[in-house]
Amino acid sequence: MTDTTVPDAGPIGRPLGRRVLPYAMLSPAVLVTLAIVFFPMVQTAWMSLHDYVLFRPNHFEFVGLDNFRKALADEVFWISLQHTAIWIGITIPAQVLLGLATALLLNQDFPWRPLARALIIIPWALPSVVIALMWVWIYDSNYGLMNDFLLRLGLIEQAVPWLARPDTALGAIILTLTWQGFPFFAVMILAGLQSIPRSYYEAAAIDGASAFRQFWHITLPGISGVLVTAILLRMIWVANSFDVIFVMTGGGPGYSTYTLPLYAFVKSRTNLDFGYGSALAVLFTLLLMVVVLVYLRRTGKAVSR
Amino acid sequence: MKMFRKFTVAASALTLMASLAHADSTVRFWYHFDNADNPMDELVAEFEKQNPGITVEAENIPWNSYYDNLYTAIIGGNAPDAAMVKMFAQPRLVEMGALEPIGARIDAWDGKAGLEDNLLNLTKAADGETYYLPVQYVVLYLYYRQDMLDELGLKVPATCDEFRNVAKALTRDTNGDGSPDVYGFGFRGGKGGHDHWASFTLSHEGVSLEEGLTSEAGIAGTQYVVDLFRQDGVFPPSAPNDGFQEILGAFKAGKTAMTIHHIGSANGIVEVLGDKVSAAPVPECGGGRWTSFGDESTAVLSSASDKDAAWKWISFLSSPVNNARFNEATGQLPVVKSDAASWSLHPQRFVKATVDSLPYAHLLPNVSQTSDFVNTAWPVNMQRALTGEITAKEMNEKIAELYAQ
Repeated sequence: MTDTTVPDAGPIGRPLGRRVLPYAMLSPAVLVTLAIVFFPMVQTAWMSLHDYVLFRPNHFEFVGLDNFRKALADEVFWISLQHTAIWIGITIPAQVLLGLATALLLNQDFPWRPLARALIIIPWALPSVVIALMWVWIYDSNYGLMNDFLLRLGLIEQAVPWLARPDTALGAIILTLTWQGFPFFAVMILAGLQSIPRSYYEAAAIDGASAFRQFWHITLPGISGVLVTAILLRMIWVANSFDVIFVMTGGGPGYSTYTLPLYAFVKSRTNLDFGYGSALAVLFTLLLMVVVLVYLRRTGKAVSR
Repeated sequence: MKMFRKFTVAASALTLMASLAHADSTVRFWYHFDNADNPMDELVAEFEKQNPGITVEAENIPWNSYYDNLYTAIIGGNAPDAAMVKMFAQPRLVEMGALEPIGARIDAWDGKAGLEDNLLNLTKAADGETYYLPVQYVVLYLYYRQDMLDELGLKVPATCDEFRNVAKALTRDTNGDGSPDVYGFGFRGGKGGHDHWASFTLSHEGVSLEEGLTSEAGIAGTQYVVDLFRQDGVFPPSAPNDGFQEILGAFKAGKTAMTIHHIGSANGIVEVLGDKVSAAPVPECGGGRWTSFGDESTAVLSSASDKDAAWKWISFLSSPVNNARFNEATGQLPVVKSDAASWSLHPQRFVKATVDSLPYAHLLPNVSQTSDFVNTAWPVNMQRALTGEITAKEMNEKIAELYAQ
């Protein structure tokens, strides 16, 4: 079969060359991935088994699972884990709902629609640090827009220090991240919406289906594939992102905005405790692995299709 | 043969270049200046003119990540040859073997006698060696709004009791909207605010970070701070998260009537408030006074390729005239006596407040736990205490635990 399709497959080396060629072509990418992704991962796992404080470079001792035991008995680990769960559990649904509503609106015909579509992408396009600084100013208890707005509406009686109170700080940051991330869903869902043929809606309308039933039976199944992939991807991003929190509160007040990646960062970068910081990162990776596996299964299926 | 000749010529050229490079030293210097008006280029040009053969590559590293970058550069084998350094970092740098002892060089240096008294003792390491050459200093004091005190007929508070009363009186609703718009004191609850807390707590007799923090007196100090916020409401509500920018901004804007900082911010404040602002030593609390000695030195790193050149550069910065120029940009005080004597860059009342505060000035313990205290243990626990998550006693216990390690 091969011989007939390849006109000059005479020499013996050629089929071997052909077999080797794909690996040779792929190997630079594989080597780079191994060097910049897998090597640091293995190194992190290795460091997590050691007592390694950066300013004591000569005391690199193997301690087995001690760092993990220490983490599981650490109050701050559980506080951070709880905040991470709240952070993901609220931010993602809020972004999805806001993104869905925006996409449905942008899918309608109205004047200036292209401009509206362009404007909606701005929060997503801005760097996280800029967004964080902008929202710190919005929340400022002396000069912030938020307090001014709510005071004028009569919803609060005096200015609230949103980022300095443990009961409001995490919520304030979640609102910031929701604002930053919803355009991602809006754009993804909009793309999904535009792939649904109009004829489905026309047929449903002739059959007397209400707007809600049309949404439930046509729109939702039409965008479900896009939606699930976007949610999985965004879960991984949101879980790992701590730059907004770091700039807005640094984790404070107290531990009230600590999430696991932030705690691992503080331990490693500020306290220079790389052993313990790595153990926190490994634990978090294991937890996140569930989401990653679901995502990989989905993308694997899509590719094999 | 032709090829061989070409190779020989190229090799000779390379050897020549290498030997030239050896003769010409480069000193990589790291520093941190917040001020946009940076005189470093002029200082470098002046130094290079005086020392032909030495090139200085001075790099301004942002303060927020200065030590993170310095430690990681040292571990990564890419440390600078010389750097600006603070005392709290010394134990770690010594433990890392990153510093070059410079005691003998300082003893043999002409400029030693010209340095302010006691600075070399204050910056000596726990192992008795000298690694730091002071380059500037400040002492923290109490800023207050003279006009507001005059308006209410109040005196500058000299004790903690007086401070509390004055702060309460200064906390006012001036626009009649039912909530205060001027607060008595701008407390820094974020990173770097340990100086504020320490003035009210470590001043108590028998209390230091390493001893007596969990005693009745130690706890009373922290409780005093917590009560000022939670009971008396004399700090702005944002105090738990406030950092340097926030406390200075609020003071300049008239949102707070007092705060604690040093002469480094004096000119900026006077630019906005003029004669309405003045300064005095921090109040006496629990039988003593405690204020922070804000040090800044330079050091030669043990990995420096040419230690003589690095030493020449750092001693240049602590020499008469050069030291004054260096401090003109940082807004702090020169360490050279002759430069201090002719100092006219700050209004005299702030220089006086600094000198008056010197007898109460202290450094944080010279141990490696201090970095964690400054960066995480203090801000996190102070914020938790201020927001009522933990008690003053629990906060002090957490810090005592750190220092007991």
